[in-house]
Amino acid sequence: MKLGKLFERLVQLLPVLLGVSAIVFIMMTLTPGDPVDIMLGDQHVTEEQEQALRKDMGLDLPPLERFVKFIGNAATGNFGLSFYHRQPVMEVIASRLPATIELSLAALVFALALSIPLGVIAAVKKNSLLDRLATVSSLFGVSLPGFWFGILLLMLFAVHLNVLPVSGRAGFSSEVPPITYLLLIDTLLHGRFDAFGDALAHIVLPAVTLGLPMASILMRVTRASMLEVLEQDYITFAEAKGLSRYKILVKHALKNALIPTVTVAAIETGSLLGGNMVVETVFGWPGLGRLVVESIFVRNYPLIQAAVLIYAVTYVMLNFFADILYTVLNPRVRL
Amino acid sequence: MTDAVSRTELDLAGLRTESLFARNMRLFATSRLSLVSAGVVLAFILMALAAPLFAPHDPNETDLFRRLQPPAWMPGGEWAYLLGCDALGRDILSRIIYGARVSIFIGAAVILVATTIGTLAGLAAGYLRGWTDIVISRLVDILLGFPYLIFAIALIAMTGPGLGNIILALAYKEWVIPCRVVRGETLAAREIEYVEAARAMGGSRRYIMLREILPNILSPVVVVSTVRMAHVIILEASLSFLGLGVQPPTASWGSMVADGRSFMLDAWWVSTFPGLAILLLVLSINVVSQGLRDAFDPKFHD
Amino acid sequence: MTEAEAPKTILEVRDLKTCFQTRDGLVTAVDGVSLEVAAGECLGVVGESGSGKSVTFASVMGLIKAPGRIDAGSIRFRGRELVGLAPADYRRLRGKDIAMTMQDALTALNPAYSVADQIIEVLLAHDDSLTGSRRARSRQARAKALEMMNLVGIPSAERRLDDYPHQFSGGMRQRIMIAIALACRPKLLIADEPTTALDVTIQAQVLELIADIRERLGMSVVLITHDLGVVAEYCDRVVVMYAGQVVESGPTRDVIDNPLHPYTQGLLGSIPRLSNLSERIRPIDGTVPELIDLPPQCRFLDRCSQALPACAAPISMRSVAQARQVRCISPALETALDPTPKVAYGGGERS
Repeated sequence: MKLGKLFERLVQLLPVLLGVSAIVFIMMTLTPGDPVDIMLGDQHVTEEQEQALRKDMGLDLPPLERFVKFIGNAATGNFGLSFYHRQPVMEVIASRLPATIELSLAALVFALALSIPLGVIAAVKKNSLLDRLATVSSLFGVSLPGFWFGILLLMLFAVHLNVLPVSGRAGFSSEVPPITYLLLIDTLLHGRFDAFGDALAHIVLPAVTLGLPMASILMRVTRASMLEVLEQDYITFAEAKGLSRYKILVKHALKNALIPTVTVAAIETGSLLGGNMVVETVFGWPGLGRLVVESIFVRNYPLIQAAVLIYAVTYVMLNFFADILYTVLNPRVRL
Repeated sequence: MTDAVSRTELDLAGLRTESLFARNMRLFATSRLSLVSAGVVLAFILMALAAPLFAPHDPNETDLFRRLQPPAWMPGGEWAYLLGCDALGRDILSRIIYGARVSIFIGAAVILVATTIGTLAGLAAGYLRGWTDIVISRLVDILLGFPYLIFAIALIAMTGPGLGNIILALAYKEWVIPCRVVRGETLAAREIEYVEAARAMGGSRRYIMLREILPNILSPVVVVSTVRMAHVIILEASLSFLGLGVQPPTASWGSMVADGRSFMLDAWWVSTFPGLAILLLVLSINVVSQGLRDAFDPKFHD
Repeated sequence: MTEAEAPKTILEVRDLKTCFQTRDGLVTAVDGVSLEVAAGECLGVVGESGSGKSVTFASVMGLIKAPGRIDAGSIRFRGRELVGLAPADYRRLRGKDIAMTMQDALTALNPAYSVADQIIEVLLAHDDSLTGSRRARSRQARAKALEMMNLVGIPSAERRLDDYPHQFSGGMRQRIMIAIALACRPKLLIADEPTTALDVTIQAQVLELIADIRERLGMSVVLITHDLGVVAEYCDRVVVMYAGQVVESGPTRDVIDNPLHPYTQGLLGSIPRLSNLSERIRPIDGTVPELIDLPPQCRFLDRCSQALPACAAPISMRSVAQARQVRCISPALETALDPTPKVAYGGGERS
């Protein structure tokens, strides 16, 4: 029953994923200029070579067939060649993806660690100085342009105080053989605490910059839902049972209050993807976001196409997981 | 008692919005913070409209002798160049004033286009239901599948930067948001008596949608537009920062921040002040929208 | 004082005043309430919503939070003063010696935890007979939880222990809430509108269950309700509340058979046995007054069909018969109490 419903939801995703792919495909098709010309750039090739490439890329097929081929290729991770890198697009993206995932996860952890306690305290101490301060800060948090805030942080911590590195993901001395490809975890798995510290120092500022707007939103959501939950009868009943304040707040209130927080967090993780491009550019973070920005300037269209599709699919899947999480956390809503 | 009755009658007569809207605006005006913020936003708009009057210098006039000149209160500063100069010796204050034009114009244009399209699409989907609803809702779902900035960047990568293209790239997805709100509100409004009454009296679909439903769902549309305007201004600045916005030498806040990146070490003011302008404008709009939201119906807590 | 400490009285509330600060002003939700609960007794507390009956017992439970506060009065539980008791001491009392059930079990039970969990946690918090490691205590508590589920009559309790509240029917949920309240064998159970949220057919079952357990455990019960029928069937004594005050109290039989206060009469919808008032009392017109800045007069004045000029002054409770008190100055009372009814009250106040 439960698995069947899950499957049903997954099937419902298909039209959206198909539509997303169609839009990416149409965008690329409508791009002005001949893709082969753009791809070859300044390279001199013969007419035959050009024709061969055209055929290879399936550009001689009618649009619908090309779309079907595009979907087939996308499903198997075949996005063609990145001429700029002289590598398959998928390989280029795969090499940059771990950095972006690591940064996004770090930002997510930062946002959750900051917003949930703050939101709870603000709700419990409603209208206190701390509550007001948290509310005002969250308003600032969503109004801060990330690229500017990142630069301010850099100027302060990297330039003036000189306590954190200016850019990049890790120093040369911190390289460890990859296991998960996430530096923070790999360095720990290898027991290289110096390298872990180095990776941590590199990731702090980008993660804070990326996570701050999300933290602000989650703080507000947590505060609002906590306030609502604290008004519920089951909280009064828990008090009537003579439970400790801690039990009442953390066990009875928080678990229910976190349902909207977690749902919003999953959705907002998708918007971290967008923020990645800006933050990675500011901090010279070698991730997918910066790769996309660089690709725009060199007109590396196959790569942009693949990246947009990957972002969109990830985004759709995150929303799907938000849905699932909501039902898992909330025993009243069964799948 | 009689007051409540007459208000209900007003509701039924479809006159609710005027009175409700006026009441809401009065509520809004009672919050001092909201009023101050509204003042700041107005000041920015005025500054953008009359930029030549306010700007002490030509924003594009370069003077290599004033390269990276610090703000007036620092050693080496001049009061004529209050916030200092950038790497080309251009007056930062004047560029911020002219930059307001880009931010506000793009923000307003995107919201205007998106709200118009979104509202009409949402009305049609919510009122007509059926295939119209299915097609519009599917499209909304699909566009929601793209992270915003990536979508805009991909579009600009295709079309190239430029004022019109930026507006298009942002409005292309932005309309989805008012559309969803309006569709939901329309579905609810459809069932209200006065709409049913109008339908029973044989009002045309267009008349009912535009004259009966639209005025009654304006409040949430206004609130959503203001929140989104703040968001769009940040997005535009982000695009400019990445070099995909309005092209130089036109001053835009995002690109000014980007310019200053190379001089973080010795000229902090180049990046700091334009960013501060973005923060101030966006913050004010957000406070205004929060105030509107509090004053308007408590039912739409987005 | 000495009477209050006598073991016979388990709960004694004296001149309790509980206020809430609101935007419109200070709401005195409970204004000078006094009542007693004897050991083993079932006391019915009757009144409309807004009469202060729930707030009175929320005060007893120590559940009044800002913007509310207890302004004056005393609450003694087995001789111990509860007003001003330290929160930690109160916590040890709640759920252990005094327990409470709420109106709607659907909202009172936490949707996110299984019923077993919600019974076990109260045992872990209070039950001193649980011994050993954390695991061992949990295991013992679980056995006790099962015992409680059986006691309140949940069919196939063992299988349903780990179900969530929403998986039970309304009546079963109410039973589970009672099981939680009774888990630590309290001396006093405050049942706040235990049947309001239930179907008529289930109501009697739940009330029978409470009555049955009261007898078995020998505890006292306060039954808060707006239904005098429920009181008539299950309570030894009754307290009638109106607009934050007690307006009448006495043995259930006496009050039901011969209501003295016009409000009680109205609640019963009966014909008072006063020969000069032979017309039927209408259903009570109007509503409970707003409890802000009340004029110093009888609170029932605006709705009373028997009002006198003297009712425009504060009215206090007075004893009118064996164990009976009423907050009314109507001379008609004397007539009503007189075992040999007079023909008519001779006063010229009413025609």
